[in-house]
Amino acid sequence: MLWIAIRMLTGDAQKFYGLVFGIAFSTLLITQQLTIFVNLIERGASGTYNVSNADIWVMDPVSRTTDVAYAMPATALDKVRSVPGVEWAVPHLRSQASVRTKDGDLEGVAVIGVDDATLIGLPKRMLEGSPDVLSQPDSVIIDDVGMTRMFPDGSPIGERLELNDQRAVIRGIADAIPSFTSTVVLYTKYSQALNYVPGTRNRLSFVLVGAEEPAQAKALSERIERETGLKAQTRDEFAQDGIDFIIENTGIPLNFGITVALGFIVGVAIVGLTFSLFIRDNIKQFGALKAIGVTNAKIRRMVAVQAGLVGLTGYGLGVLGTVIFIWSFSADPTFKGFYIPWQIPLISALAVFVILALTGWLALRNVLKTEPASVFR
Amino acid sequence: MALDWKNLSFSRQILPIIAVIGLIAAAAFILAGLPDRELSEPEREPPRAPEALANEARVAGSGVVEPSSETIQIGSALSGLITDLLVQPGDRVGEGQVLFTVDDRAARAQLREANAAIAEARASIAEARTAQATAARQLTLYRNVDDPAAVSRSEVIRAEGEASAARERRKLAEARLQAAQARAGSAQTEIGRLTVRAPIAGEILAVNIRKGEYVSTMGGGSQPFIEMGQTQPLHVRIDIDEEQAPRVALGAPATVSPRGAADRQVEAVFVRAEPLVVPKRSLTNSAAERVDVRVLQVIYQLPETEGLFRVGQQVDAYIAARGSDQ
Repeated sequence: MLWIAIRMLTGDAQKFYGLVFGIAFSTLLITQQLTIFVNLIERGASGTYNVSNADIWVMDPVSRTTDVAYAMPATALDKVRSVPGVEWAVPHLRSQASVRTKDGDLEGVAVIGVDDATLIGLPKRMLEGSPDVLSQPDSVIIDDVGMTRMFPDGSPIGERLELNDQRAVIRGIADAIPSFTSTVVLYTKYSQALNYVPGTRNRLSFVLVGAEEPAQAKALSERIERETGLKAQTRDEFAQDGIDFIIENTGIPLNFGITVALGFIVGVAIVGLTFSLFIRDNIKQFGALKAIGVTNAKIRRMVAVQAGLVGLTGYGLGVLGTVIFIWSFSADPTFKGFYIPWQIPLISALAVFVILALTGWLALRNVLKTEPASVFR
Repeated sequence: MALDWKNLSFSRQILPIIAVIGLIAAAAFILAGLPDRELSEPEREPPRAPEALANEARVAGSGVVEPSSETIQIGSALSGLITDLLVQPGDRVGEGQVLFTVDDRAARAQLREANAAIAEARASIAEARTAQATAARQLTLYRNVDDPAAVSRSEVIRAEGEASAARERRKLAEARLQAAQARAGSAQTEIGRLTVRAPIAGEILAVNIRKGEYVSTMGGGSQPFIEMGQTQPLHVRIDIDEEQAPRVALGAPATVSPRGAADRQVEAVFVRAEPLVVPKRSLTNSAAERVDVRVLQVIYQLPETEGLFRVGQQVDAYIAARGSDQ
């Protein structure tokens, strides 16, 4: 009987493909837009996630994100080290600077100074070279975005730059997630970064902390705040701060929210119209089925199977389309690090379910009310 | 209902299968593509609090290794060319050992001049003595003559005058001798001052002068000529933020590790806390440094280690806080 329902559904190829297309298109729209939205605002957290060792970030109370930070005096490091439960703490400098390239062009860069001795603060992976190159004089490590932006044709290794009248030689390429603004990032040692960044009185932007008990990072961050008067955020909190900063300061959530809503509306409109049209067209067949004694429950199940097939096919193709989209753009540096959070396909699955349940319910109302006698009219 | 290959329908069978395969592929892609945000342990050992202080109240500080005598910047009393340099960095010297000598030709010429004057004065003294003796003998001879008519009065006066003139000449020559001797002594002192000696026993840490260079006592040259200090034992000067200073348990040992070798911690013995709280010296190489952080400097004595610590090296230190022991 359910197979009859499916034959009924696919009997009219035009409507069937219309339904599948409607579901696939709204799935694609919702999934793809949500993916790009999530990835875009997570760029605000990339600075935090690129540092893979620190449980806690300590900063001046007015600092907000990795890029909006107010520097502290150098003794803040010792204050943090004095807090019980802190396993280690290292200095971390983040600052904006202008770099002069070989051609004489000026480019804004972010200079990140990592701890001299331990190199804590570098991204986890290197694309080329090893972190040890920083031990050579005047060394910097560029990130892969910087590589594609500043050296589109050729390897940057060995290239000389000028930072604050000082020589900087690129000796490695880091594999890092770009920031929201895709700024070129140069990693160097803390002591070297002090020379590269024009001097202000205080230079220490962050203190990176490893907790004795990583599971109790939250409690430790509160203790650091209490004992030092500085602001301490766990890694996840600080990543969230970066995301919140972008949400608060850009129109991205609104724009993407509109697109996602449009996807939903398009889905409801196409699928709803086609599905109710399809069911209305088949109202005679349903009447006949009723006439031969098929119960309403059975009819409900039949419609549910039809909706399920359309939903599964459309949703599968839509998600596949999103994956192909993300995959085909993954080589593009703008899309570097984009991924599909597993929650998003579930959200779009829920949206598909709601669309189908809504339209199916609306269409079914007529069917259920149909008298078997209507076949003969 | 069974799959019938002849009757295979694209929309009924193939399309849903494609969709399901696509879903599985997408799920695999999504799971494989999730970002790696695992926390990882640092590859190189960062400075950690020692076991005993891991969960105790403590104070952390950073500091610089210095000789136990502090660094002595050897100066020169007089300006001049360096004629001889007898030490190189790393040499151990005893107290009073010659470090370098400054050109002493001018002083030696003065000494020779003074010596010549001494000889001249001595000769004058001898000549005056002879003249005085002669005059005295003549006077005695005249006085012994009984017959007043035998010697004229004027003869006697002349002989008396000669004797007294000779005495005065001797006194003058003696005074000249003393002056020349004083000049010679002064020249000797000058020569001594042109030889620079080690004020204490210790190690030569830096030599910033070379033979033939001009050392000036006028200042201006910022580099000290020679830096030395007692490096057995070494001390370490730990800076502690003034806000943390009241918490330090003065007298307690400190756990010290050099930068870059954080796993090699040693225990250093408390020596003293500097009575003066000083502005923090930040190593930013900026001439226009403005400072608003002041630090208490606490001195600790490092144990004997095979070259682990060197003068001028930066270290990280952990000290127990007051109240943690009770």
